[in-house]
Amino acid sequence: MKPRTIPLQYKTFSLLSIMSLLVFAPPVYSQNEFKLKLGAKGQICLDCHETLKQTLKKRYVHPLLKKGECTGCHEPHTSSHKSLLTTKDTKLCSSCHQEVLPEEARSSHEVVLQGKCQTCHDSHGSNNKSILLKSGSALCFDCHKDIEKNVSEVRYSHKSVVQDKGCLNCHNPHASVKSKALLANEVPSLCNTCHQTNKLSFQKQHMNYPVTTANCISCHNPHGSNNRGIVFDVAHAAVTKRKCKECHQSPTSLKTKQQGTQLCRNCHRKMVEETFDKNRVHWPLIDNVGCLHCHGPHATKEKKLLKESVINVCGKCHSDTVELQELSKKNPNNENLCEPVKTGNCISCHSPHAADQVLLIRQPSVSVDLCGRCHEWESHSTHPIGDKVLDPRDKNLTVECLSCHTACGTGNNPAMMTFNTTYELCIQCHPERRR
Amino acid sequence: MSCASNAIQNAEDDHMNKLSRKIKLLVFISAVLIVELFFLISFAGAVVKFRYITSLYRDDAGSAFQQPEGVACNNESALIVADTGNGRLLRFTFEEGSVRTGTVEIKVDQQSYPIKLEMNSKGEIFTFDRKHRRITRLSPGGQFKGYFDLTGLPSPTSYVIRSFTLDMNDTVYVLDILSQRVLVLSPEGKYIRQIQCPENYGFFSDVAVDFKGTLFIVDSVKGVVYSAANSAASFTPFAESLKEYVRFPASLATDRRGRIYLVDRNGGSILILGQDGSFLGRQSGLGWKEGRLNYPSQVCINNKGEVFVADTRNNRVQVFEMVE
Repeated sequence: MKPRTIPLQYKTFSLLSIMSLLVFAPPVYSQNEFKLKLGAKGQICLDCHETLKQTLKKRYVHPLLKKGECTGCHEPHTSSHKSLLTTKDTKLCSSCHQEVLPEEARSSHEVVLQGKCQTCHDSHGSNNKSILLKSGSALCFDCHKDIEKNVSEVRYSHKSVVQDKGCLNCHNPHASVKSKALLANEVPSLCNTCHQTNKLSFQKQHMNYPVTTANCISCHNPHGSNNRGIVFDVAHAAVTKRKCKECHQSPTSLKTKQQGTQLCRNCHRKMVEETFDKNRVHWPLIDNVGCLHCHGPHATKEKKLLKESVINVCGKCHSDTVELQELSKKNPNNENLCEPVKTGNCISCHSPHAADQVLLIRQPSVSVDLCGRCHEWESHSTHPIGDKVLDPRDKNLTVECLSCHTACGTGNNPAMMTFNTTYELCIQCHPERRR
Repeated sequence: MSCASNAIQNAEDDHMNKLSRKIKLLVFISAVLIVELFFLISFAGAVVKFRYITSLYRDDAGSAFQQPEGVACNNESALIVADTGNGRLLRFTFEEGSVRTGTVEIKVDQQSYPIKLEMNSKGEIFTFDRKHRRITRLSPGGQFKGYFDLTGLPSPTSYVIRSFTLDMNDTVYVLDILSQRVLVLSPEGKYIRQIQCPENYGFFSDVAVDFKGTLFIVDSVKGVVYSAANSAASFTPFAESLKEYVRFPASLATDRRGRIYLVDRNGGSILILGQDGSFLGRQSGLGWKEGRLNYPSQVCINNKGEVFVADTRNNRVQVFEMVE
């Protein structure tokens, strides 16, 4: 008897049907992926991980743990990630909580960007809301110690910082779509939610100047201060003496009487004249912004009313140099990095207003007058140096500190040398020593 | 025999046909390659390089330069150096790759710290003094002819000069950092028009103009060059931020072909851009040896393709030749 053969088209159809079933069929195993015994789900992990039993008793527990869905985050058997996590710990939380970091955020918390959620949250459970490690500002102060110090030491504190939600009264913990510095809203809108600007007392405090749309933090320290009205600790005398008219026109307008340095010159005449007497005035000092490129007009937390720390102020324009300084600081070969470079104190060597020398260097001789202030020994007892020692690379140059070193830092080169190794440096002038 | 010769003849014809087809193919490929090469050269912009020629260190009397910041040149072999640290100008004649003797020292009481130089079509020298922040006009021989005062300015009438330049018609362009604008002035200093600088700037350091009258300004902080076509009312970005290539571009110059030369002071190099803003190369680099630059300040290019650079912190002026 001849065996019955199945036509090819039927064979193909059957094969395709089986394949489609395999591809599109619902994962029947999902109901009990690990083939657990009845009643084992949510219990079996706790048999060994007993501390989690205590965690489950806490006030706030992660919903997955509560439901016994440990496999929402952990692999039961093996994993390429620590704690048997299903994915890298810095990416795990964001796989469900994408809303934490909106795409249009204007500012984002660094730890959120890095995916280090456990800096603030206990991933299983906590007695604090949102399974936070600590409640209120105490959590923030674990990292932001400078703010904690300021808040605890100041004479006049900002109520918002010490009451209710603490930092979260003004800041969003993850990101802000509305403002920088994680602020929940733009200043002054944020301030105006508590401070009623239409009150007579408010207007009187501000000498009737129209400050309702001004930037409040150009005068007030939102974290508290030793000055009344939480005006920043370093305040312009005209502000503390309430002499707004020294600079501003009538209280109907915030417009200043003059532009740029011209205005400041009215009081700081001697300093401005000495500055203008130098060969090289720092250009920004004489443009339309003038002194206010670097200094705050009202109050700041930095000495000399600087808007920020020296390195940050200088770095706004000279980011290329500050980049090298940063690299030099991080270089492990630079343990003995020049102190002003280490601390970012640019004005130790440069005169910020004006100087007679190129690069606004304070002293005419870099080697003896400038570097010699700290490196006295090297100014006389070192490689031949000084006005009588010619640089073989250039007959118009003499050997000085900057012949071998770059004072602002040289990135990854050790000892602020202009070359990567001592050998490379030395053979520039001593080619006969080339190996 | 005749059959054999016919066969040979046919084979030869076949061979010749194949050969001629091959030659035609080769000619076609070569033509395509030549056309491609032509397009590449025409539209991509030729790479420009500097070849070092010489360095100038001192005047005829042996007095060394001290931190020269300005340099001006023309097509008649004149070369003026602003020897800034010594508060003087020096006039050289630069011919056939070297300086002729007979340097003229120009020292006038009205300027003490010259940092930028330009020459007009009559050979007059315009200097910008950093200490006094004024432009001085000198005769070709170096006699003081007066300050270049700006007249007829619309409000605001006050200004602070950061830099200036001249075009082929001797029109003067002044970068005013008090009102963030470029003032266009007649050769006598009479106001013609002004172009406002773009907003959201870092700091504008220099202004240049090319042979077509297109103006360029450079924002040193953001590393952006802006341009304004002749008679345009505003500046627009000429190229993307060049921060990738430069550290602190502080000076600009153009050549007769409309290329733009951007002097990177902190990086010790010169960036060359094509007329369309394309990157044509970065020349030299930070260093002390001849051919290298340390805090260069001004560059001047003449029609012969000679490039003069005020190599400020190396106390010299370096001369390069353009190689394409």
